[in-house]
Amino acid sequence: MKRKASSIILNLILLVVGAVTVYPFVWMLFSSFKKNSEIMALEQHLLPQEFILDNYVNMNAHFNFVRFFLNSLLVTVVVTLLVVYTSTICGFVLSKYKFKGRNFLFGFVLSTMMIPWCVTIIPKYSMIQSFGWMDSYKALIIPAMFSGFGIFMMKQHIASIPDEIIEAARIDGANEFFIFHRIILPMAKNGISSIAIFQFLWTWEDFLWPYLVINSQEKQLLAVGLKMFNGQYSTDYGALFAATAISIVPVLLIYLFFQKQFIAGIAASAVKG
Amino acid sequence: MFKKTHPLQSKSEIILRNIVVTVMVIYFTIFLVVPIGIAFAGSFHEWNPLSGTYNFLGLANYIEVFTSGLFGKSMLNTLIFSVVVIFFRVGLGLAIAYAIYSTLVKHKSFFRAVYYMPVVTPMVAVAFVWKFMYNPQIGTINQIFGLDVNWLMDPKTALLAVMIMTIWKDFGYAVVMYMAGLYSLPADALEAAKVDGASAWQTFRYITLPLLKPMTLFVVITSIISYIQAYVQILIMTEGGPGTATYLASYIIYDEAFVKYNFGYASALSFVLFVITAVFTWLSFRVSGTEE
Repeated sequence: MKRKASSIILNLILLVVGAVTVYPFVWMLFSSFKKNSEIMALEQHLLPQEFILDNYVNMNAHFNFVRFFLNSLLVTVVVTLLVVYTSTICGFVLSKYKFKGRNFLFGFVLSTMMIPWCVTIIPKYSMIQSFGWMDSYKALIIPAMFSGFGIFMMKQHIASIPDEIIEAARIDGANEFFIFHRIILPMAKNGISSIAIFQFLWTWEDFLWPYLVINSQEKQLLAVGLKMFNGQYSTDYGALFAATAISIVPVLLIYLFFQKQFIAGIAASAVKG
Repeated sequence: MFKKTHPLQSKSEIILRNIVVTVMVIYFTIFLVVPIGIAFAGSFHEWNPLSGTYNFLGLANYIEVFTSGLFGKSMLNTLIFSVVVIFFRVGLGLAIAYAIYSTLVKHKSFFRAVYYMPVVTPMVAVAFVWKFMYNPQIGTINQIFGLDVNWLMDPKTALLAVMIMTIWKDFGYAVVMYMAGLYSLPADALEAAKVDGASAWQTFRYITLPLLKPMTLFVVITSIISYIQAYVQILIMTEGGPGTATYLASYIIYDEAFVKYNFGYASALSFVLFVITAVFTWLSFRVSGTEE
């Protein structure tokens, strides 16, 4: 009986904290279906009293939302795929090959994670200018191709793949390129999922770098667009709620899609790390 | 470091290794080592890209950092912000993780997914949502609690408001980390405690908590590194205001570099912040007594 009572109390606490956690999302979503007059009204209701879709339908009238969204999607997908590939192949070489300077190289990669963004962003900005990459997606993609965090995660993961599997493939005559692409990549899917989710989120939400290097409106990304929109039409709350809601959707979808492998992935590398 | 090379190295292994190591070294040199060098040199100069100035100043930028009242204030804010947010992130994370881990709770993956949702949501977007929630007229927080507080415009509550939002966004990360830690605990230690008749609290206090120490250290260190660099929530919610109430160290660097274009001074600030990050990371290792 006592066990049952404590079970109910514990579940209740978790539900209440969970409701608080989810509430901002729910409030934003409901508000995005409200009229501006209702959002501004003195008497507030969580549910829209009059359910409208105008905020979504008219979003593109104020600013080029669809364009920003597609730009962000393109850049984020490309950067995520590149980072997943480079992290996995670097992680493979660093964990399964023995060579002079390997530990030094790995230590160096680890230390890159401690360097604040602000130390390198000014010189990188000047370098991009002198390379003539301003206002081009090269500036967004090339400097983001490798990730210290990604390499660290993948090294931890691939270390747990047994050497015997690789040895067996070698005896069967497989070369290293085949081993990496056909054996290691598929086996590292938990680690890959966690890097994919983090990298997707980081690129999607990055505000400062695209703001600095992209000048033309039609090439701009969503995070910057959202900030501009907020400054310009700060009274059209309904449209802002709708734009914010849509900007959250892709990352949440990616997370829900990869959730299982993702949790297994970060858990494994953090426990070992 | 100078181990004998593997006797059975194939040609394709050497090729793959050389390509990967070369590309990696070139990449990190161009986009990390060289920029750090440029920033370090720049921190001793008056450097403004708009007017094209690059004049040697010696230590003047660093002297300004340490005598600037705004930097002092921002470091104090950063300290308060980091200590409070890390305390709640770790405390709440551990408590919730332990509750979900308990055999009394069934829908573990549901709860885990719920608590992790804010972590995987873009900061720019949630900062906007919370800015609306804190709005004294239309905001839901005053409505729910029947308060009349101008959260983000009152110097007394602005930093608190940003901290609450950051705790909400980040504690789920600690939940997932602690759950991973809890599931990898050695079963025999917990079993032995049970056999010896330890109470639930004793088991937690003397067995579980010490065994989770590496995970706590991991969460604390990654938190220190990320909070010293936090600026997006400030940029969106308060822009440092009202007055200087919510200036965080990284926000000053953003402001000096990309609003005022004082690249030299901003670089000096960045290096000071880098050293502070390194010292705090080292201290956390020392305090926890881990040698690695």
